[in-house]
Amino acid sequence: MNLDINDKKIPIIKIRDFLIVSIQVDMHDKLAVQLQSQILHEIERTGAKGVLIDISVLEMVDSFIGRMLSGMASMAAIMDAAVVIVGMQPAVAITLVELGLEMPRVDTALNMEKGMEMLEKKLKEKEG
Amino acid sequence: MKDQIKFENAKERIEHIEDVLSSVAAGDPDVRVKTNIEDDLTGIEAAINILIDDLTYELRQSKKMKEELEEKLYKIQEQQKTIVQQQEDLMELSSPVTKVWDNVLILPVIGTLDSQRTQIMMENLLQKIVETGCTNAILDITGVPTVDTQVANHLLKTVTAARLLGADCIISGISPAIAQTIVHLGIDLSSIKTKATLQDAMLYAMKKNNQLFDGKIRVENKEPEEDNK
Repeated sequence: MNLDINDKKIPIIKIRDFLIVSIQVDMHDKLAVQLQSQILHEIERTGAKGVLIDISVLEMVDSFIGRMLSGMASMAAIMDAAVVIVGMQPAVAITLVELGLEMPRVDTALNMEKGMEMLEKKLKEKEG
Repeated sequence: MKDQIKFENAKERIEHIEDVLSSVAAGDPDVRVKTNIEDDLTGIEAAINILIDDLTYELRQSKKMKEELEEKLYKIQEQQKTIVQQQEDLMELSSPVTKVWDNVLILPVIGTLDSQRTQIMMENLLQKIVETGCTNAILDITGVPTVDTQVANHLLKTVTAARLLGADCIISGISPAIAQTIVHLGIDLSSIKTKATLQDAMLYAMKKNNQLFDGKIRVENKEPEEDNK
């Protein structure tokens, strides 16, 4: 990985077929870009089939982060991994909608548990 | 016959007039120029006294009016406060979000919708979704007579925001008039699940929850065997 070692990294945890990313710090643009490539590399490395991104602590999301999140879902999709964003706060949802970032192709869930269920169901459907 | 002005005296009297004027200016309304000697200055002294009288009268009047106005203003402000409070209460009351079944929230809307109200509705609904963890929300607009572009847009936003949280939002009870308006305005509602009546929407939501079993409504936590007995 060609990432700066000095940079703070957001931990990515692999559980069975899924990657769990819990964003616990305020996102700034650089961190967002870094996280994007970090997750994609991790998908490649582990062969994960699903990614859960928990943004329940995120109180502010700007258009850049919003675009980054929806972009990540599309990128992961073509790498054969489903992305579910969980725990979005009402204020964040309102902001995103007001910004016109409706993220039509991103799956969302109320909490980690429901997100996990959703991913499992999707995987089952895929496998047939 | 008036006396001639005596300059010795005149200087004193002019000083007296000055004193009186300055004390009037300082806010004492009860002082008057003494007019015990009759001569050319008496007229001026009397005129000054009349002016002071008028001035104090006007001052008292305006003071009184000011007090009255202030009182009225206070009353109006109080009324304004009450009105704002009532409006807020009305807003709060006008968008009740209730959990009606496992995993199902209902937001019945009655009366005309404006941007402010839809905004509050949206916030309430999203808050409730997060609080209860319900993944189905029904927005019933049976009681809404008309919608315009802005309101339709707000409804769309509400549904999208609910989806971003991870909940499905169904709109039910769209009246013929509203359907006509929406189509005429060129608003695309095809991305949103709409149902004819609240009943249909409930049925749909519960079906999605697998809460309908053999046509019978079944509580989520019970085992199917128990239900069949």
